[in-house]
Amino acid sequence: MASVIEMKGNQQELFKHEIETTDMALFVRTSDEAMLGWDRQRIVDALMRETYVDFDTAKEVAREVEDLIATSKIKMITSPLIRELVDTKLVERGLEQARKMHTRLGMPLYDVDQLILHPNKENANVPHGPEATNLTLAERIKKEYALLTVFSQEIADAHMRGDIHLHDLGFIDRPYCSGQSLEYIKRFGLSLPNSIAMAKPAKHPEVLLAHMVKFAAALQSHFAGAIGWDSINLFFAPYLVGMSDQEMEQLAQMMIFEFSQQAVARGGQAIFTDLNLYWEIPKHFENVPAIGPGGEFTGKTYSDYLEESQRFAKALFDVYQEGDGSGRPFFFPKPLVHITEKFFQTPGHTDFLYHICDVASEKGNTYFVFDRGETAKISECCRLSFKLDQTDLEDAKHPWKMRYCALQNVTLNLPRIAYLAKGDDAKLFSKTAEFIEMAVKAHLEKKLFIEKLLSLGEKGPLALLAMERDGSPYLRMGRASFLVGMVGLNELVQIHTGQEMHQSKQAFKFGLKVIAHMKLLVDRFSQRYGMRFVLEQTPAESTAYRFAKLDLKFHSPKSGHIVKGDISKGEVYYTNSTYLNNSAVLNPIERVRQEGLFHPLIEAGALTHIWLGEARPSKSSLANFVVKTFQLTQNDQIAFSPEFTACNRCHRTSRGLRSSCAYCGAEDVEGITRITGYFTKLSSWNKGKLGELRDRYRNQAFFAQKNEGMAVEAG
Amino acid sequence: MGFIKIFTKAKCPKCPAAKEIGKELKKEGVSVLNYDLDTIDGLAEASFYSIRSTPSIVIEDEEEREVISWRGIVPTLQEVKQHLFPLTSSLSPSPGRGEG
Repeated sequence: MASVIEMKGNQQELFKHEIETTDMALFVRTSDEAMLGWDRQRIVDALMRETYVDFDTAKEVAREVEDLIATSKIKMITSPLIRELVDTKLVERGLEQARKMHTRLGMPLYDVDQLILHPNKENANVPHGPEATNLTLAERIKKEYALLTVFSQEIADAHMRGDIHLHDLGFIDRPYCSGQSLEYIKRFGLSLPNSIAMAKPAKHPEVLLAHMVKFAAALQSHFAGAIGWDSINLFFAPYLVGMSDQEMEQLAQMMIFEFSQQAVARGGQAIFTDLNLYWEIPKHFENVPAIGPGGEFTGKTYSDYLEESQRFAKALFDVYQEGDGSGRPFFFPKPLVHITEKFFQTPGHTDFLYHICDVASEKGNTYFVFDRGETAKISECCRLSFKLDQTDLEDAKHPWKMRYCALQNVTLNLPRIAYLAKGDDAKLFSKTAEFIEMAVKAHLEKKLFIEKLLSLGEKGPLALLAMERDGSPYLRMGRASFLVGMVGLNELVQIHTGQEMHQSKQAFKFGLKVIAHMKLLVDRFSQRYGMRFVLEQTPAESTAYRFAKLDLKFHSPKSGHIVKGDISKGEVYYTNSTYLNNSAVLNPIERVRQEGLFHPLIEAGALTHIWLGEARPSKSSLANFVVKTFQLTQNDQIAFSPEFTACNRCHRTSRGLRSSCAYCGAEDVEGITRITGYFTKLSSWNKGKLGELRDRYRNQAFFAQKNEGMAVEAG
Repeated sequence: MGFIKIFTKAKCPKCPAAKEIGKELKKEGVSVLNYDLDTIDGLAEASFYSIRSTPSIVIEDEEEREVISWRGIVPTLQEVKQHLFPLTSSLSPSPGRGEG
């Protein structure tokens, strides 16, 4: 941001005769790291440049500020101070808009001090260090910028109040998450705008992996969140012909370590990477010509690479099973295995299912994504998915075209709606509509802003997303999704009906009604604007905490009886999205079934967690669970989450969350489990999530019984 | 005898036939509940029964447990009656039941 202390020729001339021979022997510390002599003309210049105030008003303001400084005997003047004083004078004159335009963005000294010393807990995937501090500082300024200029005051206020949450404001100049196809770099090589070297399409698997990692890092700089890769084992397959098992495992190890080690990317933050994996050849790729080494078509179709594709998938899970150097689960990349009708028709599926279930039980990595019937999708982030429609399936013939993004996520504070409705059904539904309309408006505003940046093409800030290697911009705005998320459906129902969703069929059905209402509304807005507004289960890593805290402030005392967690410790939260109460004692298959009833309404992704605690179910018991979930429920995705304790002294990892190491007894240990949609260390969790962790009902007894053959079979 | 839930949408070619069955059953005193998936109540109820295609017909017992359902297809009136009145399918239902 430009300093206030800046001169402009003509106006300075005009103003010159008024400069008094005051003895303002003061120096101003400017943002440009200079010490300049006092000159009130610079105030006038800044006001004329940045706001719409007239010249006479600017002169008056400058003089008043000068008088104030002269009489105050201030010893050190900084340009931020002058700016604040000028703003005060604008406020006194009722020039609100001018004050807003003249605002300085930044942070108090105290906050910067805290930030440098203490970790940021808004995102557990950001480590603490100088790079992370840079990231957070930049985020804070961009967040303020977004709320002041990108969004209208109505939307910014709604966010500040906590009616809605605008996600990733610190990344306002980028889209939210994305789904990628490896085929793009296989075909076009690594040719990025602003890059100092261009690489032709890879000829060897290791080089392809290197391209993938670098492209992922470049993408991470252009998206706020996750980078998902479609059918990664299949698209690698043409490069893997003739590879020995040992070489295959080596490559799998390289891939997982490359994406799991943190020091490579933005703010020291590991790239949130998702690998979509298939045991079968997905139907839409069966007859697609395969791209092989050098970006050349191999003359075969992907159906011809089933064996290599399967071997690579198995090798990846061998690596996951082993864990990292100290036996901990890999946090990233996340493996998402698609379970489809064809999966069960493909030979070897039983062994593979057992293998991935073994990993799920042992390390928790596997995500089971259910694509029933003709459904096909690319999954990523904590649970986001891009469902493929007819146009996408047509694009599948040229898979490099298959790149998707969600431009933004806006989450509604559902319990807030219930507090405001005061038990009145009509009011509750009309308030929900109002909140959704705000989310839609927020999306329109962000879209406008991103389009402005994209319009600058390959010379603009989003050059990578504007590049046109295949004739269309990398970011296909026409295919973008606009996410409408929700937090605290369970608490909305509790406030409105007096019961939580797991407590009665009536309460549960009311929850379905609210989400059905939301679904119909977003469909209507999609038609109206020709955009894809879709519901998503917000991961709400910090939003569930933020909303609960704000409601304790604005809707007390009622909210005190509603928020979950421990108020005395400040560990408060709302139940995520459409989940049932975390502490409810429910048979896990019943939780998966019931939560799954919401999933068809939530087009952009939903997930049910099964918290395992210390339990280590057998692979056959989990495989049975997965098959039943596919066959008998509507659930979109499940993940089993064990808990671990990693010792910082002996570097060994044990099962369960403990205060000391099970092997050496050291107390320098670190708890690890899944926070929302990924594994991370407990020390990086915010208070709300810690509250949730204490409440989670672990299904240990169920799985213990199941292993002994005592549990009731699902279905 | 339980009751019957019929799920339809406005733009669905087979739905009028399902609605027709509902009308016939209503005339015979069966409790028929119609749900339009383009409405909040209809979509919520359909979600509860995992209805993914229209028309769909669900027969429930007195305890609201599903007895049988036809999803995305239209059964004949006779088929529905067989499940509604399993013991007396050849007889007319007793008159006087309230409508949904």
